[in-house]
Amino acid sequence: MPLPQNLQEIIEMIASMSRAEKLETLIGYAESLPDLPERFKAQRDQMEAVPECMTPVFIIAEKDETGGIQFHLDIPPQSPTVRGLASILLNGLNGATFEEIVAVPIDFYQPMNLQEAVSQQRITGFVGVLSHMKQAAAKVK
Amino acid sequence: MSYAHPEYLVDTEWVAAHLKDANVRIVESDEDPLLYAIGHIEGAVHVDWFSVLQHPLRRDFLTKEKFEELASALGITNETTVVFYGDKSNWFAAYALWLFQYYGHQNLKIMNGGRTKWEQEKRPFVKEVPAYAKTSYSAKEANKSIRAFRDDVFKQLDQKKPLVDVRSPKEYSGELTHMANYPQEGSTRGGHIPTAVSIPWSQAVNEADSTFKSAEELRALYEGKNIKSDGEVIAYCRIGERSSVTWFVLKYLLGYPNVKNYDGSWTEWGNLVDAPIEK
Repeated sequence: MPLPQNLQEIIEMIASMSRAEKLETLIGYAESLPDLPERFKAQRDQMEAVPECMTPVFIIAEKDETGGIQFHLDIPPQSPTVRGLASILLNGLNGATFEEIVAVPIDFYQPMNLQEAVSQQRITGFVGVLSHMKQAAAKVK
Repeated sequence: MSYAHPEYLVDTEWVAAHLKDANVRIVESDEDPLLYAIGHIEGAVHVDWFSVLQHPLRRDFLTKEKFEELASALGITNETTVVFYGDKSNWFAAYALWLFQYYGHQNLKIMNGGRTKWEQEKRPFVKEVPAYAKTSYSAKEANKSIRAFRDDVFKQLDQKKPLVDVRSPKEYSGELTHMANYPQEGSTRGGHIPTAVSIPWSQAVNEADSTFKSAEELRALYEGKNIKSDGEVIAYCRIGERSSVTWFVLKYLLGYPNVKNYDGSWTEWGNLVDAPIEK
C-alpha cells in the first residue's frame, strides 16, 4: 500500500532539503503543532503514552465523518524536536484510513535523511511515535 | 558545609548580571537540538553535542584542532569564562563542560538549574543569534585523567575500585537494553559492570528546579553507597552524557580528586566481547 499522500509529499519535500533547511522546517512543524483540544484534556491519562521518547508524549485518535483518523497530540514546548517530528506524522497521517496508517513501514523516514540533522535517539523516538499512533488508531478504527 | 569548588557553579542571577560581560561567554548545550533556535538567553551561543562535539566518523569527540576552531568561532579566548546551561537538568551542559575541560579550558561554570530555572523565574529568552569576532584559541592536549576508556574500566575492576552506574534502575538491572524497534541502538546484553553501584544521576538534582542538591545531601548520597573521596571513581551511563553530571558533582561539588567519565559506557560495555557483566 502506498504511503498516505500527505506523508509522501512531506517526505519528498524534506528529502530535497539541506541540513539547515531541515532544522528550520522541524522548528516550523514544532511551532505549528496545535495544542491538545480542551475536550481531551480530562482524558489525558487514558491517552497513548510513548515511552520511547524521553519526553512525555501523549496521543489520542478519533474517527472523522469521512471515516479517516484524526490524531491529537500533547507534547511539552520544552521538547521542540519531538514536537517537530511528531507534527510531521500528524500532518502526514491525519485524515488517512486505519489501513493506510498501519501500513506505514517503520523505515518510512529514511528518504528524509534526518539523521544528518538529529541524533539516532530522536529517530527512535520518531518511530516510537508512529507505532503508538497506530495503536491509538486501532482503538477507534 | 559548602561545595568543594563553588567557583564552578553560578546562579541565574549571576548570569543575568553578566550578559554583556565581554570576558564571559554563555553557552547553551541541550539534549533537544532545536531548543536554542526556539529561544535562548540573550547573547548565548549554541553547541550541539550531536552535530558539533562528536567526531564525524569515529566514535570519539571532535579533534583538538576542530575544538580550537569551535572555540574560535564562538568568540571564546583561552581566558574567557565559559558558562554552560541547558535542558534536562543540565545533562548536556555538564557534558560540554567535561569536553571543554578535556581540552584544557580553564574558567568553566554551570548555571545552576539550567533552562528550567531560568524559565521558572520568567527570565527572557530571545531568538537573535549573536555573532562574535573570531579569536585565536589554542587548546591543550586531551586531558585523559578525566576520561576512562574500556581498559581503564578493566583495571578498575582488577583493582576493586569503585564504579558508579548512573542509569535508571531498569537499565542497571538489565531489564532494558535498548529502546523499542531499535536493537542496534542499544546493546546486545543487559545488566551492569560487576561491582558498579547504582546511583541514578537524577538523585543529584532537585526535581523542582533542576538545581543541584546541597553538599550535605550529595555527600550522604554517594558516601552512603560507599563512593568515597579517597579513591579513584569511574562513572558511566549509556553514552556518557548523564554520567558527566555525576562526574561534575563528584569532582567539583564534592571535590573528589580522581573522577573519570567512561563515555563508552553501556553502549560499548554491553556489546564488548568477553567483558564481564552482572545482572
